[in-house]
Amino acid sequence: MTTASINIPESATAADYPPIPVPNALTEFFWEGVANHKLMILRCGACGTYIHYPRPICPSCLSMDDLAPEQVSGRGTIYSHTTTVQPFHPYFVDKVPYNLIIVALEEDENIRITSNLIDFPNDDIRIGMPVEVTFQEVAPGLTLPLFKLA
Amino acid sequence: MANRDRVAAIGVGYSTTGRRTGLNRRQLVAQAAKKAMEDCGITPDQIDGVVLHAGVAGAEPPGLDWIDALDVAQMLGITPITFYNSDQGGPAYIHAAISAIAAIQSGQAHTVLTVRVINQRLSSAEERDSVQGPMRIPGDSQFTMPFGSVTPIQTIAALPAQRHMERYGTTEEQFGAHVIAQRANAVLNDDAIMRDPLTMDDYLNSRYVSKPVRLLDCDYPVDSASAVIYTTEERSRDFAKKPVFVESAALSATDILPAGFEKLHDLNMNSPYHAAQTLWSRTDLKPSDVDCAQLYDGFTIIVFQWLEALGFCGEGEAGSFVESGATRLDGSLPVNTDGGACNVGRRHGANFCIESIRQLRGNESGARQVKDAEVAVWANATGPFSGAVLMTAN
Ligand SMILES: [Zn+2]
Repeated sequence: MTTASINIPESATAADYPPIPVPNALTEFFWEGVANHKLMILRCGACGTYIHYPRPICPSCLSMDDLAPEQVSGRGTIYSHTTTVQPFHPYFVDKVPYNLIIVALEEDENIRITSNLIDFPNDDIRIGMPVEVTFQEVAPGLTLPLFKLA
Repeated sequence: MANRDRVAAIGVGYSTTGRRTGLNRRQLVAQAAKKAMEDCGITPDQIDGVVLHAGVAGAEPPGLDWIDALDVAQMLGITPITFYNSDQGGPAYIHAAISAIAAIQSGQAHTVLTVRVINQRLSSAEERDSVQGPMRIPGDSQFTMPFGSVTPIQTIAALPAQRHMERYGTTEEQFGAHVIAQRANAVLNDDAIMRDPLTMDDYLNSRYVSKPVRLLDCDYPVDSASAVIYTTEERSRDFAKKPVFVESAALSATDILPAGFEKLHDLNMNSPYHAAQTLWSRTDLKPSDVDCAQLYDGFTIIVFQWLEALGFCGEGEAGSFVESGATRLDGSLPVNTDGGACNVGRRHGANFCIESIRQLRGNESGARQVKDAEVAVWANATGPFSGAVLMTAN
């Protein structure tokens, strides 16, 4: 299953879907992983550096030949957060207020994932809270990696 | 800049500025450039370089009038030119200023007109409602936008501001203290758009956009062009206004996340921090020598980042520094003496350059004039790229 299989109905409107990821050759593994409920991060086999967003070269050792996606634990801590009150996209008009979080991954705190925290009151979110990934189909055909309190 | 001839700023000008002026970019540029030339009494034949930084905030509306640096030169009769540059992307006047300064220092041109122009054609609600069908996101935004991270208010304002609060104990009242102080400066500025005094209750009762960022923490979108003319020190004394000199200039690009992050401090200490290090390394002047600071205020947190990055206070101390009154017009470091982009309109950094020049001329800022101002610093942008320029009166 590849991400090319994110199939969105012809009749879908901007209010039905959040902005939909369009993978390319570098990022397809990430969304394929999400479809299979795995959080995959590109990693350099030569020096062990995690690379996100995906790039064709390791910024630590400049290796280009030894990069491969690796499943990470999906655990991390909240690095920062905000609760958005004003919608800037049709899909979010009836979703406000909604939270955004940045997660610092357990494997490498410099690797940060933007997502949403589910099943938790927005006003109680704090930096440093431990979280873990979960996967949800947020609209027909579109699964996203979200987080819940660990 | 001990090893080089100095670059001087000699003329400044603004176009008509406001919401929905009905003016296109070509008209706005023409107005601002003409004002800047009249300001210092220069004629087009005395200029040999043009740098334009043009942009639209948000989605590009259909049929937008195109303009580039060569159009500007041709339109104003500036010919021949030896240096030009046009960058349609990015939000910052700093690119235009630093390109011009570098061109003059390297001898590629002797006198350069810089212009920043922006049309703000759509409101955020109009822009939101103009989205037809599902939006499809290639590039790095595929990792952020699907989750609802769709505007700089969230990424370069709310997320850093929240971290500043939780990490350093910064309070919403401290953000408010800055907003109120710079509005008080705008009250003294005839050119400002927002001129009603604000109280802390006004601030705390104003609406959130993305917590902890409120509408009053955001700059005010306008149609506007801003122009500044730079030349060599040698030529700078030939014109109508007292020249102001570039002491040091620095541009920095980093990624907010994640590349290079380990080399920098934090979501709040990225490119401004690096630009400031470079800025101070190129001068004998120190933060304590600065008489006024004009700090980019696209969002309040950015002013706090620059106060810390430039060394006016310690890391994490901007909140208490602002709350102490230090940054008010009567404080030890007056900040955003024109009222800032929140009040004079979003000029993406150019207003901070122009206000620095006016303050250092010594007689152009009326009731908001900083007494005996001899050193000013202005800053532009934050996050992935930014820059700052230190200017002196003598
Ligand atoms: Zn490597």
